[in-house]
Amino acid sequence: MIKYLAKRMGRSLITLFFIMTLVFILLRLMPIEGYFDNFDKLTEEQIQVGLEGMGLTDPMPVQLVHFFEDLLHGDLGVSRRYRSNVAVTEILASKIPISVQLGSMSILLSLLCGLPMGILMTKNKGKMFDKIGTLFIVFIQAVPAMVYFLFIQLYGTTLLNVPLLFDASNPICWILPVFSMSLGNTAYYGMWLRRYMVDESTKDYVKLAKAKGVSEGQIMVKHIFKNAFVPLIQYLPTSFLNTVIGSIYIESLYSVPGMGGLLVDVIKKNDNNMVQAIVLLYAIVGVIGLLLGDILMTAVDPRISLSKKGGGR
Amino acid sequence: MAVSQVNLRYAMGVNMDQQDIILSAKDIEVKFDLRGQILTAIRGVSLDIYRGETLAIVGESGSGKSVFTKTFNGLLDANGRISEGELLYHGENLAQYKKEKQWLKIRGHEIAMIMQEPMTSLNPLKTIGEQIVEAIRIRDKKLSLQEAKKEALGYLKEVGIKDPERRYGQYPHEFSGGMRQRVVIAIAVACKPKILICDEPTTALDVTIQAQILKVLKEMKEKHSLTIIFITHDLGVVASVADRIAVMYAGDIIEIGMTEEIFFDPRHPYTWALLSSMPQLGIKGEDLFSIQGNPPNLFTEIKGDAFAPRNPHALKIDYQKRPPYFEVSATHKAKTWLLDPRAPKVEKPAGIARLRELKAN
Repeated sequence: MIKYLAKRMGRSLITLFFIMTLVFILLRLMPIEGYFDNFDKLTEEQIQVGLEGMGLTDPMPVQLVHFFEDLLHGDLGVSRRYRSNVAVTEILASKIPISVQLGSMSILLSLLCGLPMGILMTKNKGKMFDKIGTLFIVFIQAVPAMVYFLFIQLYGTTLLNVPLLFDASNPICWILPVFSMSLGNTAYYGMWLRRYMVDESTKDYVKLAKAKGVSEGQIMVKHIFKNAFVPLIQYLPTSFLNTVIGSIYIESLYSVPGMGGLLVDVIKKNDNNMVQAIVLLYAIVGVIGLLLGDILMTAVDPRISLSKKGGGR
Repeated sequence: MAVSQVNLRYAMGVNMDQQDIILSAKDIEVKFDLRGQILTAIRGVSLDIYRGETLAIVGESGSGKSVFTKTFNGLLDANGRISEGELLYHGENLAQYKKEKQWLKIRGHEIAMIMQEPMTSLNPLKTIGEQIVEAIRIRDKKLSLQEAKKEALGYLKEVGIKDPERRYGQYPHEFSGGMRQRVVIAIAVACKPKILICDEPTTALDVTIQAQILKVLKEMKEKHSLTIIFITHDLGVVASVADRIAVMYAGDIIEIGMTEEIFFDPRHPYTWALLSSMPQLGIKGEDLFSIQGNPPNLFTEIKGDAFAPRNPHALKIDYQKRPPYFEVSATHKAKTWLLDPRAPKVEKPAGIARLRELKAN
C-alpha cells in the first residue's frame, strides 16, 4: 500500500509538472500587458526595464527553471493587475478559507439529504416518494441552476431577512448559499445511490440474506447500502474538493468573497501570475481528489487491492 | 383397527416407513403478472414432504421447480403470488402469509436455502465469518459475538473448510467456487433449519467439485437431521442423493415415486423422454436422444396433458382432459392416461431398460 501510494504520488507530481509547464509556456504567449498594472502609461523603455526586472526576457527554459524554483519555495509570484503587487499566495490565503467553509457545509448538507433520499426512494420504488424524488432530481438536473438559484435568492433573502452584504460572522448569511450549493449534489447522490441500490437489491447475495431470515430493513442497511455506496465513494473526494474550490454563481450571487469566479476574473484581467497559480491549485485538487477516491474505494471494497498486481476480482 | 390405519396411510400415499409429513402442499397454484399478462407457473401441485427424507425435484428449465419451492419460504418475486392452495407447515398455512414478519419466523430457522450460484450468493464486501455469524445471531439473539464466532468456526470445519480460523476473516473473492458453496452450506446449516432447499447447488460447479459438495450435503443431513428438497435437472446427481423423485413438467408434478421406481419403472412418457436423454444412455456413434418440440406456453390455459403435443404416444384424450394421478404403488403415482385400464399398451423406450444394466455394472 505504501509503495503504491509513493508510486502514485510520484506519478501525480509528474502530471502536475506537465500541466504547469504547458500552462506556463502558453501564458508566455499572452500579451505582455498582463505584467503591468498601468501598461498604457508606460514608455517603451520602461516596459523593457520592467520585463527584464521580472526575468521575462530570459530564454524560455531559464524562465521555467526559475518558476519551478520559486514554486518549491512556496512563491507563486505577485499579482499585477488583479491587485497590484500583492503576493498571489496572500490573495489566495484570504479567499480559500471562506470557500472551504461554504463548500464543506454544502457537501455535508447534500450527504445528509441525498443519502436518505436515495435509500427511501429505493425502499419505496415505484411509489409516491420515489416519484417525488425523481421529479426533484429531474428538475435539478434539467433546469439551469441559475434559474432556481435566482429564485432562492429572490424569495429567500426577503423571507429570512438576509442583509445585502455577505457577513461571514452572521450565520443567517450562510443559509441560502449553503442550501443553494447543496441542491445539485443532493440530487446527484440521491439519484446514483437509488440506482446502485436498486441494482444491488436484485443480486443473489440479497436473496441468500433473505433466505437466512434477515429482515428487509436490515438487508437495506447492512448489505445493500454499503455495497451500493462503493461506486459513489470514489467520486466523493472529487466532488468535495470541486465544491470547496467554489461556485461561480453562488459566490457572486451572495457576494461571498471566496474562490468562486476568481479564475474568470483574473483571466479577464490578463493577470498571468494569478492564472498560473489558480490553474495549479485546480490541478492539485483534481489529482488529490482522484487519489483519495481510489484510496477510499480500497478501504470499503476488499476486492480492490492497490498493491497486488492481478489480485482481487 | 390396524387394517384401517394401513389403508388410511395407503390412501394418503404415505411412505411405508411410518414417516411423518413435515410440509404439505395442496393444489398450489402460482401466478405471475407479467406486462399485463398472467402467467400460471404452477398449476395445482400437491406434494407431501416427509421428515428426514431427501426429495429431488427434477424437470427442465422453466418447469417451475424453483418457483414451487420459493413458495415455501416466501421468496417469490414481487409480481408472483400463490393464487390458490394450501401450504401446511406445523399447522400453519404458509400460503396465507402476507407480511414479511410472518415469513421471518420461517426463513432460516425453519426452512433454509442454498442457491445455484456460489460465485454471487455471498456478499462480496463482508467476510464469510460475518455472514455466518449474521445467520447464527438471527436465530439466537442473545448470543455474544464471541460465542457466535466459535459456533461459526465449528460450521466451517463441518463443511470441510481447512484452517477455519484464518478463513473466517477472509472475503468471498478469496475462495474458489466449490469453497464458496461450502460456505453457503455452512450459512444455511448455521440457521439450524428443519428443511433445507437446495436449488441446483451443484449446477455451476465442475464434476469433481459436485461430488464433494454432494458429500458435504449428505453429511450435513445426517448430522443435523435435515429434510432436504433437492432441485436439479441433472439426473445423475439425483440418483446419488435422492430418496424420492418428483418429476415436474409445465408447472405440475407429473410423476412421483421412490428413486428406484422412477429410474427403473417410470410410467409417464415425459419421464421416459427425460431418462432417455441422459448422456449415460447414449450409444457410441449415435446421436443422443432429445425431446422434440418446446414446453407449452404458460400464458394460455393448458388443456389436457401438457406434454401431449411432444408425446409420440399421445392419446386422443390427452388433448382433451387433464389426467389425474394413477397409483402405481403406495409410493409411486403418475399423471398419464396411459395408466388408465382402458388405455392401449405402450412399450417403454428401449433405453430405459438399459438403466438397470447400468446400475448393475
